Amino acid sequence: MQSGKAGGERLPAGTASQASNTSSPSPDTGSGMRLTFEGESVAARPGESLASALTAAGKLHLRKTPKGTDRGVFCGMGVCRDCLVDIGERRNVRACMTKVEPGMEVRRAGTGGPPRAPKRDAGFRLIDEVTTDEPDVFVIGAGPAGLSAALAARQAGARVVLADERARPGGQFFKQASDGAPLDAQQEEGRALIDRVVGAGVELWPETLVWGGFGPLEFAVNRGGGTEIVKPRAAVYAAGAYERPWPVPGWTLPGVMTTGAAQTMWRSDKRLAGKRVLVAGNGPLNLQLAAELSAGGAKVVAVVETARKPRTIAKAAAMAFSAPGLVAQGLRYLATCMRAGIPLIYRSHVTKISENAEGLTAHISGAAERSFDADIVCLGYGFIASGELPRAMGARSARDPLSGQFVVSTGPDHETSVPGLFAVGDCTGLNGARVALAQGTLAGAAAAKKAGHAQASNADLIRASAALRRHQRFQRALWSLYAPTVTAAPATPETIVCRCEELALADVMAAYDQGYRTAGPIKQRTRMGMGPCQGRYCGVILNQLLHERGENVDEYGGFAPRHPAKPFTIGSLAADPAE
Amino acid sequence: MSVTPVPGSAAVVVVGGGVVGMSLAAFLADEGREVVLLDAGSPAGSTANAGSLHVQMQSRFLRMYPEQVPALESGLHLYPKAVAFWHELEASLEADFGMKMTGGLMVAETAEQLDFLRHKAERERKLGLDSHILERADLDCEAPYLGPAVIGAELCANEGKLNPLQANAALRAWAVRAGVSIHDRVKVTGISGAEGGFMVETDAGQIRAGQVVIAAAYGSRPLLEPLGLSLAIEAEPLHVNITEQAEPFIGHLVQHAERPITLKQFASGHVVIGGGWPATISNDRFHPSVELASIIGNATLAQHIVPAVSGLHIIRTWAGLNTPTDGKGILGPVEGYPGLFVALPGDAGYTLGPLSARLVAECMLGRDPGEDIAPFSVSRFRT
Repeated sequence: MQSGKAGGERLPAGTASQASNTSSPSPDTGSGMRLTFEGESVAARPGESLASALTAAGKLHLRKTPKGTDRGVFCGMGVCRDCLVDIGERRNVRACMTKVEPGMEVRRAGTGGPPRAPKRDAGFRLIDEVTTDEPDVFVIGAGPAGLSAALAARQAGARVVLADERARPGGQFFKQASDGAPLDAQQEEGRALIDRVVGAGVELWPETLVWGGFGPLEFAVNRGGGTEIVKPRAAVYAAGAYERPWPVPGWTLPGVMTTGAAQTMWRSDKRLAGKRVLVAGNGPLNLQLAAELSAGGAKVVAVVETARKPRTIAKAAAMAFSAPGLVAQGLRYLATCMRAGIPLIYRSHVTKISENAEGLTAHISGAAERSFDADIVCLGYGFIASGELPRAMGARSARDPLSGQFVVSTGPDHETSVPGLFAVGDCTGLNGARVALAQGTLAGAAAAKKAGHAQASNADLIRASAALRRHQRFQRALWSLYAPTVTAAPATPETIVCRCEELALADVMAAYDQGYRTAGPIKQRTRMGMGPCQGRYCGVILNQLLHERGENVDEYGGFAPRHPAKPFTIGSLAADPAE
Repeated sequence: MSVTPVPGSAAVVVVGGGVVGMSLAAFLADEGREVVLLDAGSPAGSTANAGSLHVQMQSRFLRMYPEQVPALESGLHLYPKAVAFWHELEASLEADFGMKMTGGLMVAETAEQLDFLRHKAERERKLGLDSHILERADLDCEAPYLGPAVIGAELCANEGKLNPLQANAALRAWAVRAGVSIHDRVKVTGISGAEGGFMVETDAGQIRAGQVVIAAAYGSRPLLEPLGLSLAIEAEPLHVNITEQAEPFIGHLVQHAERPITLKQFASGHVVIGGGWPATISNDRFHPSVELASIIGNATLAQHIVPAVSGLHIIRTWAGLNTPTDGKGILGPVEGYPGLFVALPGDAGYTLGPLSARLVAECMLGRDPGEDIAPFSVSRFRT
């Protein structure tokens, strides 16, 4: 195809103001900076992610796989590792998790030749030479759950370290703006909470990857280019969730990304992923994204939803009673989409995505059989809990009835089966930000108590318990309203099911038919799940395939948990974190 | 999934389906024997090997078990033959094991370490290995990826590497083709003498067998104990790291004269770093788990001797279970129990796996294995 395979790029989507009226490369004036991509100058804005800058410049093909296919931004949250680029001497860096810097020399990953030695040997070292920190409470993940847990623990008098992989706290829900200017009430609320957390004296560690959890409560942390060990007296795991995979032909093409990825570009960096966007999936986030991108100047060609068109008064009333604010917000998004004339297609889903001369064509099926042309296709088919570290530490997990997948199990006070390790938010069940905030308050207080600090104020805890119950009711009603009519993507035998190892469904089924009937052996036989995303996407797909075929997939049935939770460079093990 | 019931009888029962048991079963089935293979795992064997083909004496072994060096040396001649046999097998099966015969380097950082390697290479040459010393200037040509800390190395030309995922799958496919009846997730609980052979007790029923071979690594010990054979073997969990793919830049299998490490790059581009750093057997599921200390020590040592790996991301770590013996393999018939055999390959068991299997299979078929395997008899463990 013309734009994709030959040039490796498409017409730039531009910025909010330019998107609707220009197709020339964005000149980006004002406080901009420049970097190069494959030798070509690209405009960027201070604080934004490299993924946002490159996408806005129409650079969608960021990586070449070992098998020679092109990939680009997919998850937008540091999970899938499809947006890898080389930056100067640094190889395989995630564009979505990297802030732009002036003069960056960016190249497609997978094209740079053999690795080269650094100028200086960082040396061999043993674990006792590694910096160790011993806070009272270590909170992993600075989304709603982690922020509220950190605040509650700090208010109880604990010394709290709050780590997050992103440059700014807030997580996927409170996504903070790179220029510091909130777009809306949701970001305002997040900023207020972050201000309280910082003001209370929580030590915030941004750009910090917690890649390992070992017993008893020992965490391996990568930050500032180096490695540190954290041995807290209690820990709160609040890593949230990531988007459920939707394996259909073409879902690995550059330009196909998750709803969350496009939303991060817009809410954090005020960048539109494309001028013409199709949003497809299940759940209210898709409608929110469509409303936001449309208001920002993009043409949303359609919103395709697997659920039925909502018409149940009783459920809406139950939701309005539990959380009137959230219902009003949902109605506002709906109104925005309708005003903009965006087709809302219910009971339908994406079956295939292909490339055309100008971008992508998405085929949909269900109540409607048709196709849409777009620059960007956003897929938001629900969420998968991120339970890697608790699982690796031996914490029990249980099947979540909603997603059919495993989530971290917790007992009283949200403590896992590993003493001193608490887990809150979406990693324990997909209940959304409001539930996460309330759980965080309860678990943060309990973690502080476990670390030897007095109980937090009872009033706060009573309030949080009440909010928790109310929002759990809301969430149940919401998901029954959004009950999907199709739960599994219509993968064909040729459809890629393991993005990293580029395995098709037929490859995996061939192993199954040879008698490899459980996840571990299928992994060894096919390499499924051996790539750098650690099986986060294909593991979910495989569990479902096995489950459908009557194989027993219990909490130990998936891929065995493996360290690291996310990759880190060998060189960073030899270095101390830079201040 | 329901476990298929085990058959009531078989000419041969192979206990253990790792590299040794799987090869053994396939050899015997190829010769027309009716073979049932039982393994407690799923599929058979722990199959967590890292794919090094070891020939030269590993410094780790020499340091940890100096008293076993004579035993190791007595079996050293089998190692180059074992690697050659992997080659033969790959060719005869028309399979792709991802084998590369690039030679193995054991590097030295000090004059003392290099002296140690000089003596080791000399002893190995006497035992038939192709080992010699490279000075730094030679290494600049032979292995330019080695860092400045390395002052010299021993090169053993017999060594190499393969991709164990490919090899294991090919061996299993061979066994299936040959007609082996493979039963995963079946645990053998005991073996007793019975009319015309043995009764093999399992958690899925009994099997009457004419011949039984125990190839169950550390799991062999409890099966041999009741026969008055006390094998002092314990599972040894060892740590392995693997990096993301990179263009080929490391040819050899790399080791260190004093510190535990093996480092090699697969044909796929992944760099595998292991070599004896400890892991833990953590819980009642007998599931080995990794230690942070091993990740740090093992990987920083790797980038110290091969600096270009420092920019590579580690994408996965795991632990495999090694089965150290007393320095050499335990192979052949069990005296006093005609029809009962043992096949435990000894140090670097993956390298020795297929050859050990063939030697024992020949004995079971009543043929001359072509090697004197009497020194490897299990009788030395009789109490």
